[in-house]
Amino acid sequence: MLWDMMRLAGLALAGNRLRTALCVVGVSVGIAAVVTLTALGEGARQYVIQEFTSIGSNLLSILPGKTETTGAMPGIGGVPNDLTLQDLLALRREIHSAQYIVPVSMGTETVSHGERRRQVAVVGSIADFLNARELHVAQGLFLPNGDVERGAAVVVLGHTVARELFPGQSPLGQVVRVGEWRMRVIGVLAEIGTQLGIKMDEVAIVPVATGLKMFNRSSLYRILIKVRSPRDLNRTCDEALAILTERHNEEDVTCITQKAVISTFSGILQTLTLVLVAIGAISLSVAGIGVMNVMLVTVSERTEEIGLLRALGATQGHIRGLFLLEAILLAGIGGLVGLGLGVGLVKAVVWGFPAIPADPPAWAMWAALGLALVMGGLFGVMPAQRAAKLDPILALQRR
Amino acid sequence: MIELQHISKIFEVGGQPIYALKDASETFETGDYVAIVGPSGSGKSTLLNVIGCLLRPSAGAYIFNGEDVSQLDDQALSRVRQQQIGFIFQSFHLVPRLTALDNVALPMVFAGIPASERRRRAEAALEAVGLTDRAGHRPNQLSVGQRQRVVIARAIIMQPSLLLADEPTGNLDTHSGHQIMELLESLNVKGLTLIVVTHDPNVARRANRVIVLTDGQIVNRLKGQELSDRGMPFS
Amino acid sequence: MVLDLIRFAGGAVWAHRLRSMLSLIGIAIGVGAVILLTAIGEGTRSYVLAQFTQFGTNILAINPGKTKTLGIPGILGGTTHKLTLADAEVLRRLPGVEAVVPMAMGMGRVEGNGRGRSVNILGVTADMPVVWRFTVGQGEFLPAGDLDRATSVTVLGPKMKRELFADRNPLGEIVRVAGYRFRVIGVMEPKGQILGYDLDDAVYVPVANAMRMFNVDELMEVDVAYQSAGLAERVVEDVRRVLISRHHGTEDFTITTQAAMLDSLDEIMRVVTLAAAGIAGISLVVGAIGVLTMMWISVGERIPEIGLLRALGARSHQIFSVFLVESVILSAMGGGVGVMAGIVGVWVLTLILPGLPVLIDEQYLVLGVLVSMGSGLLSGVAPARRAVRIDPVEALHAE
Repeated sequence: MLWDMMRLAGLALAGNRLRTALCVVGVSVGIAAVVTLTALGEGARQYVIQEFTSIGSNLLSILPGKTETTGAMPGIGGVPNDLTLQDLLALRREIHSAQYIVPVSMGTETVSHGERRRQVAVVGSIADFLNARELHVAQGLFLPNGDVERGAAVVVLGHTVARELFPGQSPLGQVVRVGEWRMRVIGVLAEIGTQLGIKMDEVAIVPVATGLKMFNRSSLYRILIKVRSPRDLNRTCDEALAILTERHNEEDVTCITQKAVISTFSGILQTLTLVLVAIGAISLSVAGIGVMNVMLVTVSERTEEIGLLRALGATQGHIRGLFLLEAILLAGIGGLVGLGLGVGLVKAVVWGFPAIPADPPAWAMWAALGLALVMGGLFGVMPAQRAAKLDPILALQRR
Repeated sequence: MIELQHISKIFEVGGQPIYALKDASETFETGDYVAIVGPSGSGKSTLLNVIGCLLRPSAGAYIFNGEDVSQLDDQALSRVRQQQIGFIFQSFHLVPRLTALDNVALPMVFAGIPASERRRRAEAALEAVGLTDRAGHRPNQLSVGQRQRVVIARAIIMQPSLLLADEPTGNLDTHSGHQIMELLESLNVKGLTLIVVTHDPNVARRANRVIVLTDGQIVNRLKGQELSDRGMPFS
Repeated sequence: MVLDLIRFAGGAVWAHRLRSMLSLIGIAIGVGAVILLTAIGEGTRSYVLAQFTQFGTNILAINPGKTKTLGIPGILGGTTHKLTLADAEVLRRLPGVEAVVPMAMGMGRVEGNGRGRSVNILGVTADMPVVWRFTVGQGEFLPAGDLDRATSVTVLGPKMKRELFADRNPLGEIVRVAGYRFRVIGVMEPKGQILGYDLDDAVYVPVANAMRMFNVDELMEVDVAYQSAGLAERVVEDVRRVLISRHHGTEDFTITTQAAMLDSLDEIMRVVTLAAAGIAGISLVVGAIGVLTMMWISVGERIPEIGLLRALGARSHQIFSVFLVESVILSAMGGGVGVMAGIVGVWVLTLILPGLPVLIDEQYLVLGVLVSMGSGLLSGVAPARRAVRIDPVEALHAE
């Protein structure tokens, strides 16, 4: 029965090709907008999550400074109590759930070799930094193990830095100047790209004690703790805070887990996507009005046919169903075409900007199609009702 | 058997009640062959629509095969039309998008008959009206006479007990009009009640009985042979 | 003639009221959405700009570190050559420079009146209220004098004052800022938040004290106010020249003028607004397709009428005009309704979300009507051409 009704509705649509085509175009533009916007928003979200998880979701960072209000940014400038190497050693002694605990100091400095010079971010850390940040050494060695407080005059260069300072030759064993300091290159990092906004290919990594001395600092930029499983994150945070609070006599550090940062960003981007989709969906409602209008015309044009069907035994329900089905079919075809259009558009965007991992999520495709069908149903109700209420006698009147 | 008991139909025109039918009573035996005649606006169409269950009478009872159908709801009336009544229209009313076969099968769609049986029955009906070779044609690919045959095939597809024909030859030339009437009469001979509304005395005269309608009232009942070929009994 | 044409076309629009109304609503939704979104966009833009211009437009900021991308170079800490108080002192003597504020900043605990809070501690100088356009609410600001002179006096942000002293007069009271004793000499006027950053939740101390407190020998930022906008380029050049020569020939600092920052901010907000309007504009396209569909149907229905008009001597360009005018009337009315709906929508929005900055730009209202008329013109062309091609003889027989 439903199948027969669909066939009748389909034949009716095929009978008015141009009109059907225009309606389909209208609906498909709306659906394509929704699909494309969802894909881009979702792509941006995936990109951010991927960016954060690439450095490990088991990571938490402790930074100096305590925020009370949510708005202020933590860690700007110095603090009354430094986050020191002694703090680091205390954490390493007392926290057992951690896989790695590494210090990070930061600064920018000019690195030069002969005539070639380049300003880079100088990261001070220890041997475990390699594993904590999941980095790899392409040539030579990473920082040596040993006394954290002893700063050797050695440096590991980022991929780009090594290539620019030593074009066509091996930098291993060479001496570079980092600011005023002469340092021996012991290793080069593998190419990795940008992590958390820091271009890891454009850094120089030195022992943390050297880093602190170089920039005349007593406080670390932060301490990174890598735990064995995400379940340990919160507990380890609490432990670290307790230890440091006792050492500093006040809670003056902040502990951030990647998970919290990720969920915040993910939430913001999700909201943004929803807003965009809502704006895109406005066009869908306009398309729906178009469908309704055309269906109204169709009903008035097919008055005679409706009368005939009624005389042949079709109930009001049959007629209502027939026209509702026609509207839904119309919107459904539009939805399919729009889906194709949207996916094509997203593919084009990805082709043009490969950095955006835009991919229409499966749920969005189904939702878009569902949305089109529901819209067809909603905007089909009025015309279908009108058709059902037609007096069969008027419809059949001799002309 | 169909019985009209004191049927009236009142339309409101500009706040004024107009009697389209006034106290019409009539009995149609099964297998009857009746022509309804009358001048324009005499209520012929209204009477036909009431008999065809397309219109509920304002007053009176309409007994269709023993059941009072005058106040049934839309669903039940649709069912009566579907199962019991075949319609034949002057202007055919074929769905232009559908083939002859699909047009004939249309009533069975709403009756929920499975597709395979629909096809079989529709083919048989087309064969009965001599249009087997035209089954795949659309209405605009058929002559007017052939179109009316398709309409008749459609009217009998549900094996109704009553055939209602509204000016069945109105759009046809004399020759095909004659053929159509013979086809309808052959169905009548097989036991279907046939009611024809017509302007044409040549058509009306073929009926067993003629009912003359004026201003919504049945004013005369004749035998078909009593009609002279000079004109209708009201002109 | 034109008037007759409009009356004739208007009659046709009126004859199919429901149909016309639906087509019109389609256009109206599109225009209304564009107006609403541009109003939000414009409102946000002017809000953000006002937030930043409250600091004055004739200022520039110098940060240590050279960066080409937008970011906070200072966050990475030390630089090759530090930005010092001596640098600031030299800048103060440049021609055209009105005032200079060297700044050091950090977080720390402030205690007083038996209570304590961790807040931002800003090391600035006496000129800060002039440069940043802050006003002192009670008492006075930091005393003028040599930049490197430390005086143990502090000025509280209004929120800080409220938290520590409630309704008590804080003037003359002693507070401990990061462990050091300071005498309160003033309280600032409330300034509110800027981009989620609470300007009132801070204390101000002389920059020399702050540097000692945080154990740093460099500034985080130096803000320079110049006398007039016309001097911007010259002052920027002078500052760059002087600092490069003081820093042994390297440009290891970044100069950002407020005007340039405002310009880029303005640019970004404009693009965002345009993008939102563009997405909403999709619905206008869909609405136009709806008008096209209905006009096409209308021509088909009125073939006999067209035949009659031709028989009565109407020439083809007149037939063309009739349908084109009808389409334009429909769309223009839709545009008008859309503009009104947009205005009402903005008004409703301000009732629901009083904090949301909205601003209706008149040019978008005019644009809304013009664009909808244009879309009517475009979507009327195809149906009007169809009408022209109708053969009058056949048309008259169509009935």
